Amino acid sequence: MNQIDRLLAALLWLLGVLAIAGITHIVAVFALPEFAAKDPYVRISELAKPGQLTILPPSRPDMQVMPFADPAMVQSVCPFDLSQGGLRLHADVEGGRLLTFSFRTSAGQVFYSMTDLAAQQGKIDVVVLTAAQLEIVEAEDDEDDPSQDLRLVAPEPQGLVIVGALAVNQSERAEAEERVRSVACTVEQIA
Amino acid sequence: MTPGTAIAMKRSYRAHATILGKFLSAGCLGVLLGLFVTVVVVERGNGFGAVAAGPWTGWPRAGASDTDPYTRAILAYSGEISLSESEGMSFVAHGDSNGAEFDPACDYSLKGEIPSARFWTLTLLSPGGAPVANPAGRSNFTSSEILRASDGHFEITLSRHARPGNWLPIGDTSKFILVLRLYDSELGAPAAALDAARMPGLVKSRCQ
Repeated sequence: MNQIDRLLAALLWLLGVLAIAGITHIVAVFALPEFAAKDPYVRISELAKPGQLTILPPSRPDMQVMPFADPAMVQSVCPFDLSQGGLRLHADVEGGRLLTFSFRTSAGQVFYSMTDLAAQQGKIDVVVLTAAQLEIVEAEDDEDDPSQDLRLVAPEPQGLVIVGALAVNQSERAEAEERVRSVACTVEQIA
Repeated sequence: MTPGTAIAMKRSYRAHATILGKFLSAGCLGVLLGLFVTVVVVERGNGFGAVAAGPWTGWPRAGASDTDPYTRAILAYSGEISLSESEGMSFVAHGDSNGAEFDPACDYSLKGEIPSARFWTLTLLSPGGAPVANPAGRSNFTSSEILRASDGHFEITLSRHARPGNWLPIGDTSKFILVLRLYDSELGAPAAALDAARMPGLVKSRCQ
């Protein structure tokens, strides 16, 4: 082997290394949410049962459920499993008080979000369904009396709803907790 | 077997072994390099679509339903529940307006405009996202809590030592970050560019 051959062989080897590195990097970036994101959501699921709203404990220096959480925000979580039926979320909204809702997949990806500003006549009614359940519900609809529910199709059967209420000052925390607690999260049987 | 064929076999065996070795070394090194680059990218937390304004960096697309894979990987790695698109936007500052990293021994003052939002909160956290212990028991301010001058302007002082006015204690930590969250903000995902003048500045004052 002369020198040019050796150089070409080394170059080819280097190209191979870079190609494999590129593929590994892309695979790792796509795979990371599947592995890492499970961690906080598994922790949340341990705290709350499907179809049940649970208030997350506030972050403290020595203990935190969610990193980077806003201490002014009282957050609660309602996991859902649509194989057991749809999820109904009902909230009565008080004017001027911030109440946020985000609908997420089990990996934390948001598929819908809203705040109290989206309330109609002071009420928020959302039903989370699978595509098949939506068909059933729509078939049962009364044309003369259309439903006021907002119907969301979840991209996967499992996920969670995070409800947040802002305590504008520290003394308002109890009141914000009350506001979050007043949100009803129930499993709705779909015939 | 003649001695000649034995030598030839030995040679071809050696050639195969070298080729196999080259493939294996390229494979191992490639995988290691790929993982290393991934860790560096995710640790630095620089996804696509970051918006920087002065000391603040925000990810308007983080809470959208069609985030890019990098942002998704970064969020998954940090374990953060990002604000969703209609909830608002969050910005992180790792240093002051001059670009120098925060030094807990120094005082900083935050003043200037905050983009219009229904509410905003300013939180001091450790780089890992945990609240920092401090004797005053305060790690954040909300837009309703701060004391404002008669013209509506305000200043928040970050310091280890008690300060008059809006004092956000730094506490006993070697590193800290600031998170500014704008709830129900007019800035949404379409806000691809932010003007630094519309975000609050962070100025270092004395150090001890």
